[in-house]
Amino acid sequence: MDTLVFVLAGAFATATPLLLAALGELVVEKSGVINLSVEGMMAVAAVIAFVITYTSGSHLLGFVGGALAAMLLSLIFAVLVLVFSANQVASGLAVGILGLGMSALLGRSYESFTLTAPAKITVPVLSNIPLVGPILFQQDLVVYLTIAASAGLIWFMQKSRNGLVLRVIGEDPHIAHNLGFRVLRTRFLAILFGGFMAGLAGAYAATVLTPVWSQGMIVGRGWIALALVVFGTWRVLRVVIGAYIFGALLLADLAVQSLDIGIPSQVMTSMPYLMTILVLALVSRDALRIKLNAPVALGENYRPAH
Amino acid sequence: MNLRLEIVPRTAPSTQALMMVPAITIALSVLCAIVLFTALNHSPSLVLYSFFVEPFLDSYNLSEVLIKAGPLILIAQGLAIGFRAKVWNIGAEGQLTIGAIFAALIPITWPQSQSALMLPVMILVGGLAGAAWASIAALLRTRFNASEIIVTLMLNQIAFQILLYLINGPLKDPRGFSFPQSVPFPEAAMFPPLVEDSLLRANMSIWLVLLISVLAWVFVARSFAGFRLLVGGLAPNAARYAGFSANRAIWISLLAGGVAAGIAGVGEISGPIGKLQPILSPGYGFAAIIVAFLGGLNPIGIVLAGFFMAVIFVGADGAVLAGIPASAPVVFQGFILIFYLASYTLVNFKFRRVRGGTV
Amino acid sequence: MTKFKAVMTFATVLGLAAPAFAEAPLNIGFIVPNPIGEVGWDYELDRGRREMQEHFGDKIIVTAVDSVGEGPDSTRVMNRIVAQGADVLFLGSFGHMNDGLALAKRRPDLAVLHAGGYLNEANFATYSPKHYEAAYLCGMAAGYATKNGQLGIVAAFPLPEVLGIMNAYVLGAKNANPEIKDAKVVWLNSWFDPARNRASAESLVAQGADVLFSLFPGTPAAVAAAEELGVYVTTTLSDNSEFAPSKHLCAGQVNFSAIYIDQVNKVLNGSFEGVDIFAGVAEGAVEVAGLSDDLSEDQRAAIFAKQEAIRSGEFKPFSGPIVDNTGNEVVAAGNQLDAGMIKGMNFLVEGIDSELPY
Repeated sequence: MDTLVFVLAGAFATATPLLLAALGELVVEKSGVINLSVEGMMAVAAVIAFVITYTSGSHLLGFVGGALAAMLLSLIFAVLVLVFSANQVASGLAVGILGLGMSALLGRSYESFTLTAPAKITVPVLSNIPLVGPILFQQDLVVYLTIAASAGLIWFMQKSRNGLVLRVIGEDPHIAHNLGFRVLRTRFLAILFGGFMAGLAGAYAATVLTPVWSQGMIVGRGWIALALVVFGTWRVLRVVIGAYIFGALLLADLAVQSLDIGIPSQVMTSMPYLMTILVLALVSRDALRIKLNAPVALGENYRPAH
Repeated sequence: MNLRLEIVPRTAPSTQALMMVPAITIALSVLCAIVLFTALNHSPSLVLYSFFVEPFLDSYNLSEVLIKAGPLILIAQGLAIGFRAKVWNIGAEGQLTIGAIFAALIPITWPQSQSALMLPVMILVGGLAGAAWASIAALLRTRFNASEIIVTLMLNQIAFQILLYLINGPLKDPRGFSFPQSVPFPEAAMFPPLVEDSLLRANMSIWLVLLISVLAWVFVARSFAGFRLLVGGLAPNAARYAGFSANRAIWISLLAGGVAAGIAGVGEISGPIGKLQPILSPGYGFAAIIVAFLGGLNPIGIVLAGFFMAVIFVGADGAVLAGIPASAPVVFQGFILIFYLASYTLVNFKFRRVRGGTV
Repeated sequence: MTKFKAVMTFATVLGLAAPAFAEAPLNIGFIVPNPIGEVGWDYELDRGRREMQEHFGDKIIVTAVDSVGEGPDSTRVMNRIVAQGADVLFLGSFGHMNDGLALAKRRPDLAVLHAGGYLNEANFATYSPKHYEAAYLCGMAAGYATKNGQLGIVAAFPLPEVLGIMNAYVLGAKNANPEIKDAKVVWLNSWFDPARNRASAESLVAQGADVLFSLFPGTPAAVAAAEELGVYVTTTLSDNSEFAPSKHLCAGQVNFSAIYIDQVNKVLNGSFEGVDIFAGVAEGAVEVAGLSDDLSEDQRAAIFAKQEAIRSGEFKPFSGPIVDNTGNEVVAAGNQLDAGMIKGMNFLVEGIDSELPY
């Protein structure tokens, strides 16, 4: 039972960096741009946030610094694909490489330094409910804020005018342009938002989830976030659920080991990727495509005609 | 804002600009490197000497450049075929891994064999296995419309987990003290050295790489099939009108990438490594994407770009010995690609001064 | 990049610059696989190097490089260091083995010292500390400290050395407290993944463990987690007290300089051999450190007494009868495991609730 609570409660915190980064990437992809540098942005944000929190003692400053650092990288990406019309796949990988290199370079002298993580919030009364209490009502502030941000993003995507503009641009930038929407400006803002969220994700990973600096702080979680957007079929709520499932899977791998079930660890580690491929194959069939909100123009650069 | 610069497409790609792109890229990257290394309290001239001069100073470093360039060029040739058709295979790393695993089954099964057939069969099996792994992405893309970018990316991670499982389990060397690695391969499974009885590690696989580069050049520049891929990528409607199938372009692209990466995997296990181990490739699959773009998706350009990247990799190790943090060269490589991508715009676009107007 | 250096390099390649002049300092190359940090494998290797340099002063010059990972690229760094005139090469990762061996075969005048491998050549020595001796002692501390008898172990990879440490730990715990339950194990299958490391600690505590053992993790994340979760933690390689000031129970501290100084002396006086060096408490290579004040005087005395018994050779941790966790007797009463069997450890002792993953 304790193991179950461990997995179900811990999954929130484990899922939070994945979810933050995935929400950002979702907005980017909805605008028709794919940014493969999530891993690199998270890594840079992680080290900057760690160093700032370590030096200043303020987690808030760490988050701000991490977000700004990742936004700076996303700015490079935005300039490459929007101003220079460079290929999105190559640009994302290039910025990602720069980010990973920067992260290792800056983190070098902080190897195995530690921070104090902010205390978890124990909601009075509610956290005493058996089973549900420790799972839902003993999390840190960022977990609750991330869930709130997800709700805000659902509203933005479905109800707000700007959300609609974003979606139209991702579907067909030429039509959007003809309708009078500013394609490049919208994409620019979307990419910066993606950087901001990846920055928060990296900051959370390094200063709250695991307040110890080590190389490999992010180790593949940026790629999982990319998978998550697809797993959630570009829908915020599904991405939230997917993040929770992936978070639980990452912990279940560890919990299962001591339960003598005999599943090789590598199978468990592969599960998020296998599930993403499966979901992608199931949902990408043409008939369903429109319903599923996959941005049609994903990966295609747009230049206004003259 | 009355006067502003605007980027407008050229009617035809500019050859003149194409020639200038590498020069601009290198100039800007070197500038950034000087700033970076000065900031790190290292003499930039010493670092640049390590990067660009030292690799050419002796036969050992030149041999290392060949070792590094081989897989980069090979994989990039395969990927470029797909990239020309706008099929984004990001999964060369996984295809390399699967190619290496299946090829390795042969020497692991017959560790005493001295058959001259072993290496050729390994190359064949490695290429086919790489292609088979890539075909998962091709199938999902053509049958289910699933993005090959995501699928190949996911397959990288899965391939790595398969490798870890096998070398920790069924393929583990029983006399290897439980370390995660296979038995060492017999000599028949290894590429013969380029120079007999020398200290140099460079091997005959470089000829295979150059041969495949020639084939890629013929395929892209001369053959009808190459034209088809070009058209399929650039204008799907035109391709369909002319009776070409977009699905076929996807299959050819991914299979070509898979074969090349699979063979590159054999080149590693039958070259510098000589067994299966957890780390088969120091990121060749991703670095090759950079090489493909640096080479302008052109087979000859890719050979040059592959050697250029290899020089930087080998030079980086020298820089590390000179006291530069191991991560600094990675940052430098990031700069190079970013500046290349930005300056490549000049090939297809030109700057024009305009008055007013909105974007 | 002076002309002189180029000439020297050339001479070295020809094998002319062997340590011929008594007054010329011994040129040592030293590579470790990861960033140095403040505790753990790379830190301890590097601390050994620093102490070695202090000891020998200007009799040696050392080129130290960190973050030289495994894989085909590490070879190039080794070769460069040797081409630049190194007479002795320290390799800090198991993954450096094959390329190091090839280099040693090509350069018979070079002395190579490789950490953690299992193959030797005339000029290629391997070294490893007997971590298991200190692990037995920390196991005793764990046996004393546990309230509910549930131990939890976070381990990196199921390598033979790791199995040996784990077995000795549990044997030590049972020696101190015969009533303990079967220890639970989580395998990380990675060296560097702080989040996974930390989650493993949380997972074990959720399953009731009140003493954790952080066995060869690449990061101190599990140790820091133990402090937060309020459970004791024992550690390997370094005293990790700073990461768990109130909950650090015991550490199996290694001192590589004991091995390094001995071996460099052998190179200097020409008696270096490519043998396997297995050094423990007796050689000063391993000791308990960072014992918690929560242990009673008697308990601490018992641990130190056992350490002295190990030092004198009177006690050996792997003394029969030892039964593995599938019920087979692996060591009969009166017998002991020899060094080869310890280094090739491929079983878990009774009292460990885990199957070998493969």
